Amino acid sequence: MIRRIIDFTLILLFMWACMLIGLWLINEVIVPLEIPGINNRVLTATLKVAASAGLALLWLWLWREIVKRTFWRTLRAYEQSVKMKERVSSEKEKQKGRNED
Amino acid sequence: MRMITEFAAFAVGFAVSLLSMPMIMKVMKRKGIMGVDVHKKDRPSIPEMGGIAVLLGITASVLTAVLLMPGRDRLLVSFLSSTLIAGVIGAVDDLKTLNAKIKPFLTLFSSIPILLLGTYNPRGPILPIIGQTRLTLVYPFVIVVAMAVTSNAVNMMDPFNGTMSGTCTVITIVLVVSSLILGRYDGVLPSLCILGPLLVLYFYNKYPAKVFSGDVGSLSIGAALGAASIISRLEIVAVVAFAPQIMNAFYGLSTIGRLYERREVPRPVILLENGKLMAASDPNAPITLARLILARGPLHEREAAQVFIILSIISGVLAVFTAYLIRVTV
Repeated sequence: MIRRIIDFTLILLFMWACMLIGLWLINEVIVPLEIPGINNRVLTATLKVAASAGLALLWLWLWREIVKRTFWRTLRAYEQSVKMKERVSSEKEKQKGRNED
Repeated sequence: MRMITEFAAFAVGFAVSLLSMPMIMKVMKRKGIMGVDVHKKDRPSIPEMGGIAVLLGITASVLTAVLLMPGRDRLLVSFLSSTLIAGVIGAVDDLKTLNAKIKPFLTLFSSIPILLLGTYNPRGPILPIIGQTRLTLVYPFVIVVAMAVTSNAVNMMDPFNGTMSGTCTVITIVLVVSSLILGRYDGVLPSLCILGPLLVLYFYNKYPAKVFSGDVGSLSIGAALGAASIISRLEIVAVVAFAPQIMNAFYGLSTIGRLYERREVPRPVILLENGKLMAASDPNAPITLARLILARGPLHEREAAQVFIILSIISGVLAVFTAYLIRVTV
């Protein structure tokens, strides 16, 4: 049960830290950004929103990929361990049968 | 007076839900409004719509608070109205199944009372490390989306007995603690109005469930928690506390690629012969939080529900830490 909780906690901590870093980046870097050569306020604001949205989408994409990979890797590892156990137990059965013979 | 009102609101909500729940269960049995508990081998039929008792409890609780503290009526009325709007949508969905796209759309309307009565921080949320934001124009739109997100995320996170009610109880306690840390005493009252009825629902809904909350319960609890977070100005704390619900909804939606109803997609969890639950290996099934937890091997439903509550407690601790960061920043 502990391993399951650790899996989730690691993803949660990553998501939380990324959220704080992302908010800080938007507030400290993107919002005060002066784009040289562009004087139009609406255009500057639109570019800032686009950059912030891009950052949020990158965060969501990273999050989705981590979860997908974690899930399939864990499930495959479990399925392999089950197969391995089955193989070992069937070999033991065979060995037992041979010994009885 | 404040503490007396808070205690009275909690106690009345708890008592009304406790008294009304058995009656609602009887009515649902009589009317044949039953749901099948699919994660048990004998597939028992359980009365649905136990969430009505939660709605009755919250209503009684809020009315008590309004009577005892008339100065807070605008705040409490907006909170109750948002909860009731979501509750009505949930009740309609329980009785006549709504489309997977219409239901989230309708829940957007639960934000109207908060916007009309202006019971939100007009400047926007206060963020940790950053402080007060200036989102005067954008924030009302964020509130509309946030109310739909909280109500639907809670609604989607009801895979096992006691999961929804247990995790929401943890979130409510986190909201109370965070309100106290940040000195937002207005936020304690709405959270306590939810806590009493939620404890009753958890008692009846925990493994083995005697009642299901139905969408009337899950949508209204989600909206109530969303409204309490906005009214208490605990938006970011709530985002962290809601992490298991948000993760569950996000994983599901991102793997399916659209809004879906449980009936439309392959089951993410399968019941084994020994009564344990196992993650389905179907690549078309949504990767929900339940499936992610069960990927490490089968678990009994009681154990899986316990994992959910532990995860919610971990998110809750992080949310309280976020509240502390906000306090340090401000």
